[in-house]
Amino acid sequence: MADSASGSSADKSVQVKLVLLGEAAVGKSSVVLRFVSNEFQANKEPTIGAAFLTQKCRLEDRVLRYEIWDTAGQERFHSLAPMYYRNAQAAVVVYDITKASSLDKAKSWVKELQRQANPNIVIALAGNKLDLVQSSSAAQSGSTSEAEDEADDATATPGETPGTPEDGSESLRQVPREEAQAYATEAGLLFFEISAKTGEGVVDIFTEIAKKIPIEHILASSRGAAGRPGAAGARAGNAEGVNLDESAKPKDACNC
Amino acid sequence: MATISTALRNFKEPTKEQQTQIGFSLPQSGPLDGSEQGTAADDIERMDINAVLSMGQQGEEDSYAGKLYLMAPFLCFTSLDRRSVRFTLPLSTIRRVERLNARAGIYALSLSLWNGLKIIVQLTSLRPTADLFCSLLRDALKVELQRGQMKLCKPFAKTCYSEFLLASDSDASSSSRLEHEREDGSIIEQEKKPDGEGGHERTYLGGLGLKFRFPGDPKKLREASKVKLWTSYLKTHGRNLTLLRYPQCTRLVQVGLPNRLRGEMWETLSGSIYLRFSHPNYYVQLLKDNEGRTSTSTEDIEKDLHRSLPEYAGYQSEEGIGALRRVLQAYSFKNPELGYCQAMNILAAAILIYMSEEQAFWLLEVLCDRLLPGYYAPSMHGTLLDQRVFESLVQRTLPIIHEHFQSVDVQLSVASLPWFLSLHATVFSCIKLSPAYLSFRYINSMPMIFAFRIMDCFFCMGPKVLFQVGLAILKINGDKLLAIQDDGQFLNLMRDYFASLAESAHPKSSDPRARAITKFQELLLVSFREFSGITEDLIHSERKRFRNEIIHSIESFSKRSAIRNLRTLGQFSKDQAGLIYDALYKAMCIVPPPSTHQNVQADLLVTTANGEGVEEKPETRIELKTFRYFLSEIATWARDEKIVSNGFQQRVDREVAEHEFIDRLFFFWDTSCKGALSFQDLVNGLDGVMFNGLMENIEWFFNLHDKNKDGYLTKDEVLVLSETWLFIFRFEVGDAYLGAISRFMTNAFEYGDALLPENQDSDVKESEGGGSPPPHVSSNQPYLNLPTFRMVVLADEILESFFETDMSASFRLQPLPEMELPVSSSGLLGDIWSTIATDSNKKIFNMFTDELGKTIGKHQVIHRPSIGRYTKLEEPKARESLLTPSMRRSASKSSLNSASASPSVGLTSSSTLSVDSLAISSSSTSTPPPPPPAKDTATPVSPVADSERGPLPVVQPAMLERTPFAIDDVGSDSDDDEEDDEEEDDDEEEDDLEDDDRVMDEVDAFLEAHDSGLSEADKAVAKDLLKAEPMK
Ligand SMILES: Nc1nc2c(ncn2[C@@H]2O[C@H](COP(=O)(O)OP(=O)(O)OP(=O)(O)O)[C@@H](O)[C@H]2O)c(=O)[nH]1
Ligand SMILES: [Mg+2]
Repeated sequence: MADSASGSSADKSVQVKLVLLGEAAVGKSSVVLRFVSNEFQANKEPTIGAAFLTQKCRLEDRVLRYEIWDTAGQERFHSLAPMYYRNAQAAVVVYDITKASSLDKAKSWVKELQRQANPNIVIALAGNKLDLVQSSSAAQSGSTSEAEDEADDATATPGETPGTPEDGSESLRQVPREEAQAYATEAGLLFFEISAKTGEGVVDIFTEIAKKIPIEHILASSRGAAGRPGAAGARAGNAEGVNLDESAKPKDACNC
Repeated sequence: MATISTALRNFKEPTKEQQTQIGFSLPQSGPLDGSEQGTAADDIERMDINAVLSMGQQGEEDSYAGKLYLMAPFLCFTSLDRRSVRFTLPLSTIRRVERLNARAGIYALSLSLWNGLKIIVQLTSLRPTADLFCSLLRDALKVELQRGQMKLCKPFAKTCYSEFLLASDSDASSSSRLEHEREDGSIIEQEKKPDGEGGHERTYLGGLGLKFRFPGDPKKLREASKVKLWTSYLKTHGRNLTLLRYPQCTRLVQVGLPNRLRGEMWETLSGSIYLRFSHPNYYVQLLKDNEGRTSTSTEDIEKDLHRSLPEYAGYQSEEGIGALRRVLQAYSFKNPELGYCQAMNILAAAILIYMSEEQAFWLLEVLCDRLLPGYYAPSMHGTLLDQRVFESLVQRTLPIIHEHFQSVDVQLSVASLPWFLSLHATVFSCIKLSPAYLSFRYINSMPMIFAFRIMDCFFCMGPKVLFQVGLAILKINGDKLLAIQDDGQFLNLMRDYFASLAESAHPKSSDPRARAITKFQELLLVSFREFSGITEDLIHSERKRFRNEIIHSIESFSKRSAIRNLRTLGQFSKDQAGLIYDALYKAMCIVPPPSTHQNVQADLLVTTANGEGVEEKPETRIELKTFRYFLSEIATWARDEKIVSNGFQQRVDREVAEHEFIDRLFFFWDTSCKGALSFQDLVNGLDGVMFNGLMENIEWFFNLHDKNKDGYLTKDEVLVLSETWLFIFRFEVGDAYLGAISRFMTNAFEYGDALLPENQDSDVKESEGGGSPPPHVSSNQPYLNLPTFRMVVLADEILESFFETDMSASFRLQPLPEMELPVSSSGLLGDIWSTIATDSNKKIFNMFTDELGKTIGKHQVIHRPSIGRYTKLEEPKARESLLTPSMRRSASKSSLNSASASPSVGLTSSSTLSVDSLAISSSSTSTPPPPPPAKDTATPVSPVADSERGPLPVVQPAMLERTPFAIDDVGSDSDDDEEDDEEEDDDEEEDDLEDDDRVMDEVDAFLEAHDSGLSEADKAVAKDLLKAEPMK
């Protein structure tokens, strides 16, 4: 309720418009819900059109305010997508690692974003439902963020372990991690395997995106449609030691 | 999106007649399964007549003047304002029609319905008209009797709760009903269980709510008093099939239907009950017929089953999930083209709480097909269109908000789209995301109640309700909306508002009654009070206004994504790929792939069936027939073009050529052997020939004819190859090519024979000259290899030049102006298929001018050559009159002249009428072309055309796309009296509408003043009628 006043310039927070895309039922809304209020609902209704949520993140001394557009996944909603991804500075393209076709759809979203969206958009590819392919000794993690970008060497994500391919109940897995990773590298995307259910890797996506976003540019061009910054590599400087203030996260959930 | 759909081309403006049907919630005429309607409509008698309606029981209601419609098998009535009073009676519910013996000059009928209800209609038109109406009515009733429909009323009524309600009410032991019901209307399951038959058996249909309870607090909802009010209304005004809608009905709906009646009232008000009535067992049979069938839709449905109102108890049980699955699947089987769209699950889940599966199925059908046309279609064109309409209505009624949104670049549809898609139902589920809501989980069912109440109004008053409520939401939040700066704030604001709907609208008011008004009540009040001007007519005309714009943008969107989804563009630019797409799209429109209805879906099914779970992406593929058309758009030899000049016009008549070569090409390009080509296949295929040089072309041509791909042509294949040339060169002028081909054959066989392996060669003598092959080499053995072929070809200058440039150049990518929808969307061409109509008109016109031309000796037909290299050499005179030098040049030039500024675009483009019109431009403004054409033709043009203005203007709209030309000018200068001129017609129509509106407004005002619209004298007559006795 405090939102309408907060507008743009007042506080130091930088607004980042982020859009979630991906096939129906891959878990986009669940990912957002995990990120915004740190919970998981087993049966979420399908998104109609799009849902809008916000979440603040602290990045070093700066507060980043994600404006998250969670879109509908069914193919026929596709033509509406441009309405939501216009002016977006970041995109998370989600697929379901237990469903091969969802990666194809993800690829076509990436293609579309790269051609049609804001040219400097930061895109992350996220394979969701990691919990389904992990053996019950689930504690391990798979959220590597290595090698996502030439300019970005940041592998210092907290809680990260080397990305050993999980065995366990691999039978459900339809998209090999390597395949998706290779594609992401080739297409210049951030890459994660996550689980909205357990929460694994979800916050990392947003942290890594935050690092990669050309914040200075957004600030410079203040908000809105006009600012299409030129170089994305400019901000390699703040890449290390960057951290999200995670403890602060769940409580200041958007509210707005 | 690898599918290309031409479905949008069928997205038509409803006809006047359809609009009337829609107005009465009638099922669309035509058989349920057939895609085409109209067959049934033809033999159905229709007539309307002025009438005054009175109730059979005195004093119940005022009499209303209006119009009575006979639209077998229905009889309908609507009051003059088209709002107050309305009924739609299946003829089979009418048991007796009597002419009443009344005052002289009064012609009145008394209709007795099967359940004893009586209504009186006084026919106020002239006597003969009334007589005619009566006889038609009699005939229609007879038909119904013969069809045995009459017998069905009674058993059908048993399925309706209203009958049960009334029966138990008249039992005076209304307690017997209440014994079994909870306050909310759900059934108390008690001792009934043990012996199955125990107590009274429930015959009426109902939804999950009967078992899992209805959402909401029954006390707060005042269920009991609502039921009482409805009981008395239904008793006197009919119910289910025979419901008469008087103002009271609408009022009762607006305060919210009682749970138990809700399902039945929805189907009655929406008209889906008529479908259920006329198709008994259809639902069950449909499910049975399709048992075990899977499709993309069924997969999508599975994904969403557990995601539909999950907080409702019924959907936490297999019973509810099963019902939801069956209803959604049944609909997807019934309408595979639409299949399943997210949001339908929420609607279906909502209505299944109140109605049985079968009822829900029919209601869903009415929702998707009639009430929300195109909303859930794969392109969602209906949704997009109504978003556009909504925006325009906002601009009109709330200009300040609209202006503000524009200035801060906020898109209305980010919020409003879901309102429309889910009838405002998801709005209330999106509230769940709001923090305010999270802390008030106990009101869980509250938002659902609001959604249901909006649905009540929607089914009763039609789709305009969505617009009215939408506008009211904006209006109520007007001040805050003016403060928002971006889409996000807009959505947040809306969410907070929805979360507060249960709160008081005037919390600070001192008047407790004002304080009791919730924001939701306020919303409805504003919707229907302040936006009563949003009528179905207005929405209809707004839709008409934006239809083309929407179709256009959707089509260009799918074009862009089709191109983007190509795995490779080959050497084509994006624009060129676009031109290929255009040709493909046009071909699909004109030669739709067989069984259009099933096509897309069939594709999907095939892939899922074969691919066993690993679904391939569905892809649109065209078959040979469509391919022929496609190719005719691109390859000059794949069409027969006749240049016809008859002294008045010069035009190119184009037909699709048929030849084995084209079929051969089709299979050559079908690399995946699917018997059908995808867009990608076409791009690849064209890529394989359009950029070739000499050697590559020779090889390409060779391979094309080497059926078994062994690197050799057989003798037969050599002959076939030669025949291909004959085909390609069939319209070339002179016999240069003929000579070349015969030289080729001679040489080919000579070299071929010479190069035959020794053993075969042993008894071969050098065959000299003749093209006949030596008899001993069987015709299907390897004979000529590529190097030999190449050598033979290169020996001939003409063939060499063919391969060097002409062949590649015979494939031309050019813009297809015809596919553009007219930009001026001012109602013109609302019915896209009017092009068809005008196409045939165009033909008539062409034939006519041909005839004229023949009589004055100006008619001549020339086939346009495909290559045109040697045009200059032969028949110079004939050519001169046809082709300007520049055209000739460019026609023979190699051309990939996509959209280039080539002067020949007009000539080579596919417009059916040649740009050469200049040649006959009379005294019009255009500058005369370089070679002045037959001057004598100029004079007769205008007068003759003028005298024949009948067909002329008709032609015009269809020709809009191409360059205007002299004759048109003549036509369009004076089209004021054409009854067929679309543009005019539509303009007038719009004027009419506006006039109508004005008239209606006056009528409204009058009605308000005079209540029923009848003078006292009229009323007296109507009263008299109540007492009148039947004649004879
Ligand atoms: N096991 C598991 N299930 C998940 C996970 N994320 C989502 N789901 C389930 O997947 C289903 C779909 O989740 P949603 O978040 O609604 O998917 P969506 O992508 O938003 O779907 P649309 O809105 O239809 O596009 C739900 O039943 C979730 O419970 C996950 O990480 N693990
Ligand atoms: Mg979602």
